[in-house]
Amino acid sequence: MAAAAAAAAGPAEPPSGPAAGARFFCTAGRGLEPFLMREVRARLQATQVEYISGKVFFTTCSDLNMLKTLKSAERLFLLIKKQLPFNVSSVSKGKIFYEMQRFISDDPESWLNAISIWKNLLELDAKKTKLSQGDANPLKRKREENDSIIAKKLKAEQMQETQENRERQLEEPKGEETLERGDPLTEREECQEELQNDVTKAGDILNQKDLTFRVSCRCSGAIAKTLSAQEVGRIIGIALMKHFGWKADLRNPNLEIFIHLNDTYSLMGIPVFRVSLASRAYLRTAGLRSTVAWAMASVAEIKTGAFVLDPMCGLGTILLEAAKEWPDVYYVGADVSDSQLQGACDNVKAAGLMGKIELLKVSVIELPLPSESVDIIISDIPFGKKFKLGKDIKRILQEMERVLHVGGTVVLLLSEDHRRRLTDCEGSGFPLNSKGSHSDEPGVEKCLILEGETGISETVSSSFEASHQECLHKMPPFGSLVPVECYKVSLGKTDAFIYKYKKSSSSGL
Amino acid sequence: MKLLTHNLLSSHVRGVGPRGFPLRLQATEVRVIPVEFNPDFVARMIPKVEWAALLEAADHLRLVEVPKEPIQGYEQDETFLRKMHHVLLEVEVVEGTLQCPESGRVFPITRGIPNMLLNEEETET
Repeated sequence: MAAAAAAAAGPAEPPSGPAAGARFFCTAGRGLEPFLMREVRARLQATQVEYISGKVFFTTCSDLNMLKTLKSAERLFLLIKKQLPFNVSSVSKGKIFYEMQRFISDDPESWLNAISIWKNLLELDAKKTKLSQGDANPLKRKREENDSIIAKKLKAEQMQETQENRERQLEEPKGEETLERGDPLTEREECQEELQNDVTKAGDILNQKDLTFRVSCRCSGAIAKTLSAQEVGRIIGIALMKHFGWKADLRNPNLEIFIHLNDTYSLMGIPVFRVSLASRAYLRTAGLRSTVAWAMASVAEIKTGAFVLDPMCGLGTILLEAAKEWPDVYYVGADVSDSQLQGACDNVKAAGLMGKIELLKVSVIELPLPSESVDIIISDIPFGKKFKLGKDIKRILQEMERVLHVGGTVVLLLSEDHRRRLTDCEGSGFPLNSKGSHSDEPGVEKCLILEGETGISETVSSSFEASHQECLHKMPPFGSLVPVECYKVSLGKTDAFIYKYKKSSSSGL
Repeated sequence: MKLLTHNLLSSHVRGVGPRGFPLRLQATEVRVIPVEFNPDFVARMIPKVEWAALLEAADHLRLVEVPKEPIQGYEQDETFLRKMHHVLLEVEVVEGTLQCPESGRVFPITRGIPNMLLNEEETET
């Protein structure tokens, strides 16, 4: 991996990242990997895109600004090395320790290369920040002013990170990131300081010879039974100190090293940003996790001038993600709750989207809209005891069907319960469209198969296809709503399904 | 609430049917919120507009410079599109009421959000 000559670029040169392209990997919520793979190709012109055991790997020339725009990813890392899973069959821990140190001693170039790329990314970013601020002095002054604030925030962050690491070590080695539905994102402020932190660090690294670092580790699978993440962290930490002369700093390191050992690989990387990309700077309070919201919007086929409705918008997360990505669209959100609508209103203001999203206090089963007036409906259908209409999934879908244009798209997030109820109602009578027209299209056979994903690592492509097929199979048509795609996604504690329908001109079965 | 939205809203009080449109608009507080002009977007909205309803609402808000109907070749006419952009998207009713022309039911608009929830007796079955 060649380091860029970015430092030599003058202000007139177009911004670019590492010339030859650097290799990264991302964590993503379970089920969102196909969206992320699609996104890195589209947004970052990424190549060598692979999905392996919970992470998406890709190569790109993009700089930090572009990398920051990823919407379906959790955390982003620069790849140091990925190699075969660590063999713990040898009994003695001493042997294991020695073998582990070889991660570094066998191939120190990988480590130095990755750090060089990482430095370049930060330097390039610092340069852009300077340019955008006019001259170097304001940056310096701002840095000095912000130092104390940054120090405080870093401390809070580190405490949070230490806590998270502890939790991860105790976690079952199943899923990847822990996601909460209705997760209040307190990291928004830290996210905004993100850039400032990295910029400050870049300056520090340039001036210092000694690099300070911290290792965070995750172990799952066979190795977790023998070694704790802390032990591994310590071994690697010591090896790094011995080999490169760096100093460990648990409080405020220049460099973070991330290590994941499982049954599929031994993976080492450098986190590019401190917080998950799911923490949006523009989202004050998230209801649904922003990554899932964006993923739903990304399959809804939103085009300029479309009328997009979320009839159960809650805090407006889906509409906000959509409006940020596809701005020249008429967005309307509806909800029955005053507090939710107020939250949505606040979110819209905080995101700088005033005037872009209309809000209504109406019920999803009694929409005061003409039939066939809406182009796209995207909604997270709530469930649980508090939500009375949970059992009325049919009524909800009927009303959505009514207001939707023929050819329009519906994208829903459904719980397992909702899905079961929908499957149960297959075959029962549905009201005909007001137009009462009939066409030749049989509902079920029109199920479109999910487009094949190229570039998926051999070991996983078959299981992806299989689960999508199964998902699609269980997805019945609803009146004139024809199932198109189905994705199973994790919301942390529960799983949910993204269902996409298109309204056909047939009026029923 | 924008006039584009008003142009779509109808009353669903029981028995009212298609006579629940258009809703009679009264405003006690109106604000103009600038929105970035996108000619493509506005051009796509034009065919969807119910003109009589729009003109009536604009009249109640005492707006001037409201085109009476779509002119030929409106897609390329920037003056026309900008006027429509302003009327449909930049005029916000912050406080006011919407009244069902058939049943007389009044729906309040508070902080820009119309409340069109019906209670049990009012809804269609």
